[in-house]
Amino acid sequence: MTAGRDPSAVLRKQKRYSIGCMVATGMLLSCGLAAAAPLKERSLLLADGTIAYVLTHRYWSLYETDSPKTECPRGFNDGPREEFKKLYEDGRQRSVTDAQLQWEGVQWHPQTHAFNLPFHQTLSKVSHGMNLDGKVGAQDFTSPDGEPGIDNQFYRVIGCIDSYRKGGSLYTFENNFLQAYPDIRMIIELSGVDSLVNDDEVTVTTYRGTDKLLGGATGRDYLPGGTQRIDGRWSKDYVFRMQGRIVDGVLITEPLDQFTMPWGLTAGVVGRQHLRNARLKLQLTEGAANGLLGGYMDIDTWARTFSRNLSTHHASYGRVSAPSVVAAMRRMADAYPDESGQNTAISAAVSLQMVQVYLVHPQPTNASLAAQR
Amino acid sequence: MYRHSKMVRHFVAATALALAGGVTSASAADSVVGAPFWQAAQAAEREDFIAEPMPAGVQVLPSELFGPVFADEGGRSLYIWPLRTLRNGDAGDRRNSGVSACDDTIYRETAGLMSPYPPGYLLPELDRRKSCSALWPALLAGDDATPVGKWTIASRSNGQKQWAYDGYPVYTSVLDRAPGDVYGGPRKYEELGRGGGGEVGAVRTPIGPKPAVPPELRVRVTSTGRMLTDDKGFVVYTSDADGPDVSNCTGSCSLTWRPILAPQLARGYGDWSVIERSPGIVQWAYRQQPLYLYVPDTGADVGGGKVNGSDVPGWRIAYTQRALPPPGEFVVSDVEIGQVLAAADGRTIYLYNCNDDAIDQQSCNHPEFTQVYRMAVCGAGDPDRCLKTFPYVIAPQGASSASRLWSVMSIDPQTGHRAAAGTPGALNVWAYLDRPVYVFGEDRPGEVNADAWGEFNGYRNGYKAFWLRDDFRSNAY
Repeated sequence: MTAGRDPSAVLRKQKRYSIGCMVATGMLLSCGLAAAAPLKERSLLLADGTIAYVLTHRYWSLYETDSPKTECPRGFNDGPREEFKKLYEDGRQRSVTDAQLQWEGVQWHPQTHAFNLPFHQTLSKVSHGMNLDGKVGAQDFTSPDGEPGIDNQFYRVIGCIDSYRKGGSLYTFENNFLQAYPDIRMIIELSGVDSLVNDDEVTVTTYRGTDKLLGGATGRDYLPGGTQRIDGRWSKDYVFRMQGRIVDGVLITEPLDQFTMPWGLTAGVVGRQHLRNARLKLQLTEGAANGLLGGYMDIDTWARTFSRNLSTHHASYGRVSAPSVVAAMRRMADAYPDESGQNTAISAAVSLQMVQVYLVHPQPTNASLAAQR
Repeated sequence: MYRHSKMVRHFVAATALALAGGVTSASAADSVVGAPFWQAAQAAEREDFIAEPMPAGVQVLPSELFGPVFADEGGRSLYIWPLRTLRNGDAGDRRNSGVSACDDTIYRETAGLMSPYPPGYLLPELDRRKSCSALWPALLAGDDATPVGKWTIASRSNGQKQWAYDGYPVYTSVLDRAPGDVYGGPRKYEELGRGGGGEVGAVRTPIGPKPAVPPELRVRVTSTGRMLTDDKGFVVYTSDADGPDVSNCTGSCSLTWRPILAPQLARGYGDWSVIERSPGIVQWAYRQQPLYLYVPDTGADVGGGKVNGSDVPGWRIAYTQRALPPPGEFVVSDVEIGQVLAAADGRTIYLYNCNDDAIDQQSCNHPEFTQVYRMAVCGAGDPDRCLKTFPYVIAPQGASSASRLWSVMSIDPQTGHRAAAGTPGALNVWAYLDRPVYVFGEDRPGEVNADAWGEFNGYRNGYKAFWLRDDFRSNAY
């Protein structure tokens, strides 16, 4: 049973503070008074058994060797500009309706896709990611350190798209906006933590904050120790809780049946990703939490988030053709079939880089304090 | 479409309840009546302006949303078409060029100004296409006209003379039918330069005199009114606890609410007065209400400026004027970064934006114009799919609006054009600024899943939510 399906699970662990009251009220004031066994290996950051991190970088997890020819022997994929030329520039004069608007119609209604264009998937056998289904299948990858059964079919789709590889336009672009706008950054708070090295039960709660990141001298080397005020008004859709454990400094959470992560890619546009069977695997230190988010990503949501955020012009920078990518995602989807048997989700992994922050939870109003008396 | 499981929703709801304790929270959907975005129907607040010399026949008329605008002798609002840098070139009138780029040519092909599409594609419905000059009649100047103030004389390709304002030739819009109509485009002239690459296209914008505000302050165009900010973009507030020209915010209050100080020698004029807080320290007051900034507000640096101060009981955002409320069936809905206008069932209202890629940059967001652009993004060319994806908002029988920004129009859903009398299947739908409004078929109340649906984040050929408040970005301001 996952943590998200069993809210009472958090109460199972007897510690010297009440995690339950903290999560249920969102108030630091009301917690920390019920003493139990002494903490072990505690640092100052864990004075109340909690530590939090804010996201500073987020990438679709792509395994890249020194030579792209290893993973992509047939080269990188075309983008909208190249595909448009192949489809519509044959010497005949066409109308806007029969070219540009046909293209845009498919972009917004992928079910109408009938383009017959080549698409190169990665041929790599190695991938970052997690074994989401606990099985080792024919389509699975092996991790760089040899773990079999890695489920990351989204890597198979986008592994040969220049934009998503190191230094690619979206690799950079997405993070510029993530660093600029707090509503597209995830914050995690670990509570019930005895030790950042080994702890058999911790709780992870996700939030969104309202504050800027703490930049270093360059403004881009984000530092631990900043403060984030938790947004308690608009961010309800992004509050989730997972149960997990820390093993040799690595946080591993139990799968969460459904998880939503804020995911804007540009200015002025909100977006999100829905993942099912989602879990975190993060290397923890007092200053940072780095690692992976894995799960089965909802394809429709990915498609809409992408196209709402990026114009055809912007998608052309790094050659990402939404119609072709979505069609490939549907072909390689590996979970959660709909009534027709078509899978609706695709296994994926996201690389996360987070720095430690101190959280300020919303303060209670007089009315809510009175209600507690 | 993905949906949260019931149990997860319950958990999230429970946690959210706890989180929400820290702020003065609106309910998920509030009535538009009494909401802070609009002024009461009986209110007569109008923005004062700085009078300036004008040619004979030009006048200043109040408008409900855009404040005072210039109009011709017949009351038709006046517009300019400033040159705008698009992705692959410029379009519009070049300032101080002395000539108008809006002529009698009926363009047949795209210009390739919007990357990544190349030029040379045939424009839609060429048999119905009109010239720029037919859609934007010039404000002609007589042979004996002479420049006055910011008004100068430009030349047209047919040899006629045309009035120019601030160096830009001046036009009227065929969409405006009565004095006070401003249907040709939004008043964004003051904000040109924002938005970088001209995603919306080279749009026309109404013009008007400068607002009469002290130099320390600015007027920001919002979706419902004209908001006062300081010169850095921070929102200006008033307090219900103050008296006429009297500030009762002292001590610790003034640490949270910073008075907007006036120069020592400042004197009141029009709606503006100065009050002495202490010897030698004077504060601006507007319509006798002392003005403040809310110190915790942030966000001016991203073009918006937060309005958290308005969540504090007794404190209000200062506007020079606001629009009248929408029809009472609409509601204000909380969404993931702020608030939107929503239909009676709580679903977010969307507005459709469109500009084509011809040299004369014609808009395509009005039912009088071609609908093929909208049909492409809402239904891949299929009208029936459009009706499921972005349904019109049906107006009740006999509905009307006190606000002239809202109207009821009859639409043929198969064409998207206005329906002739007796058209089978015609729908009576709500329209804003003379364009139908929509909901998104897959939205549930509190969702904005179709905001930015369409090309260039919904600005070029697509849909944007009717944002009222945005605490993280600059959608509403």
